Amino acid sequence: MSEFDWVLKGRCYRLGDDVPHAGGVIPNRYIIARQFDPAELIPHLFEETDPGFHERCRPGDIIVTGRNFGMGPKMNGYIAMRALGLGLVCESMPFLAYRAAIGEGLRVLTDCPAVTEICGTGDELEVDFRNGLLVNRTRGVSREYPPMPEALMDIVALGGNSGWLRRWWQERQNA
Amino acid sequence: MGMTAVEKVLARASGRARARPGEVLYPVPDFIMIHDGVVMGAKRELDALGIDRLAAPDKVVMVTDHDVIYGSVRAAERGDFNRKAARQWGVQNFFDVGRGGHGHIFPMETGMLLPGMFYFDNDRHATNAGAIGAFGFRVGAEISRVLATGTNWVMVPKSARIRVSGSLKPGVHARDVGFHLATRIANGSLAIDLDYRVLEFVGDIGQFDLAARTALCSSPTEMRAYGVFFPPSDKIIALATARAQRPFTPVYPDADASYEADLVLEVGALEPQIALPGGVERAVDLSQVTGTAVSHAFIGSCGSSMYEDLVTAASILSGRRIHPGVRLFIAPGSERSTKRMIDDGIMKIFIEAGAVLLPAGCGPCNDAVIGPVHSGEASISTAANNNSGRFGARDAKLYLGSPATVAASAIAGKITDPRSLAASQEVLRLAREAA
Repeated sequence: MSEFDWVLKGRCYRLGDDVPHAGGVIPNRYIIARQFDPAELIPHLFEETDPGFHERCRPGDIIVTGRNFGMGPKMNGYIAMRALGLGLVCESMPFLAYRAAIGEGLRVLTDCPAVTEICGTGDELEVDFRNGLLVNRTRGVSREYPPMPEALMDIVALGGNSGWLRRWWQERQNA
Repeated sequence: MGMTAVEKVLARASGRARARPGEVLYPVPDFIMIHDGVVMGAKRELDALGIDRLAAPDKVVMVTDHDVIYGSVRAAERGDFNRKAARQWGVQNFFDVGRGGHGHIFPMETGMLLPGMFYFDNDRHATNAGAIGAFGFRVGAEISRVLATGTNWVMVPKSARIRVSGSLKPGVHARDVGFHLATRIANGSLAIDLDYRVLEFVGDIGQFDLAARTALCSSPTEMRAYGVFFPPSDKIIALATARAQRPFTPVYPDADASYEADLVLEVGALEPQIALPGGVERAVDLSQVTGTAVSHAFIGSCGSSMYEDLVTAASILSGRRIHPGVRLFIAPGSERSTKRMIDDGIMKIFIEAGAVLLPAGCGPCNDAVIGPVHSGEASISTAANNNSGRFGARDAKLYLGSPATVAASAIAGKITDPRSLAASQEVLRLAREAA
């Protein structure tokens, strides 16, 4: 595979605290239906709070959230975010939400205290997920947050758990 | 600095001298549990990748507990799929319909799960392992990676500690403590965040037998704890030794281990609790809701289905009949408990009281595959949680109580303090002997 892009440059899309996965990220009906097809999910990302989001966002854009993002182990919204080429930076997320995002191959930083105070929707951001450096070009500020754990970077670079397993099996067959 | 219980267990399973919160490790499990509802997803995922053999089929334990007697044709088809999967994968430890029971209960009773062990599970109530001094870690659908490769990544969780102070009054049960604890955490009077934490219980915990410890694993799990841990007492060690299928080494936290929070929970004055509809953390003293009419009742689930729980309920039901407007379901945690209840007469008490015996497993507490509530109904149960729609209509009112409270309420047809009904001393003697 080609070199994975660990640095995203794009616009900020800021959300508040306690955004639930069901409703806040993607309508609950797609979660209940166990819909995991990115093409089916993309049109509905943030649909209930911001219809048409998927048409306005661009690859490289970064969703910046407050505390407790995602709430629970659901992964449908992260599938859509990854397919759209987006990144995610959170003040905090429940661990199972974080694990679900990693498992879908999403570039994600969590435990970034007060990040919503230095970013606003539309700001030009640059985030390096390898070292946790966030630069807000619009405001001329930067912060260092905990990077993605090195041990998990393989999973994200390979597109999530399925991609990781596929390569693991191929390597085993070739060994 | 020393290590907490989970740090020690993860270090041992990962072949390391130490484990620190936040580190990513690849622990090798003592076994791997997969429940009936997720076998199909995991098998199809691995088949699609061409992965046709498991890393360690001898370690895999397949259990049938979420939909035991097939509430639908689809479930019957899934059962057929699971049997074929077990054959194709070469899984010997396959607990089919009517074998074993609840995956978070029977392994502690049969000596499969022992103090100091570590295992992976797709289901979050694997936290029950802490009752016997072990750890089961939920990985959800990522159980497929564990099946294929034998392990998966684990970020070492932080630990918190609750020091129990005081003795429970008669008629007050470990589940009451759990509801109270969850409520104190939710209202902020116990300053502790349980998200992805391991909660260690210490202090006056000698009063809690294996069933009570299991009950106390339930509510913290609903509050997002990833593990619960009781340092095994001499009694627990003796019980585990008598049942053990293989050698084991108990684990205890170091005296100088570091905890994110270290709090005291007074239990001496606690009254029976009722968790109001909507969550285990919505508990009030039972006296505040006495007399609330109920028509559906259920005793069982990973929190309250050990033999001792069932005997506690039977001691209230003995010589009485449940209210004509109530249906009461009993779902033992294991086939072993069901057989034991036949041998000692407990089963007769349930049947004569008018209760309905379900096969060992999760009972209604799983998407209402069996025994659901209907719209507008009120239910009292020992289910793992009472979130809206947990077992049936979303607008049904789901109350939670201890096994004794559910039994007393089923008799009266309304929420009732179990202490208002004399318990059968003869039946309680059975429970004491069992413990």
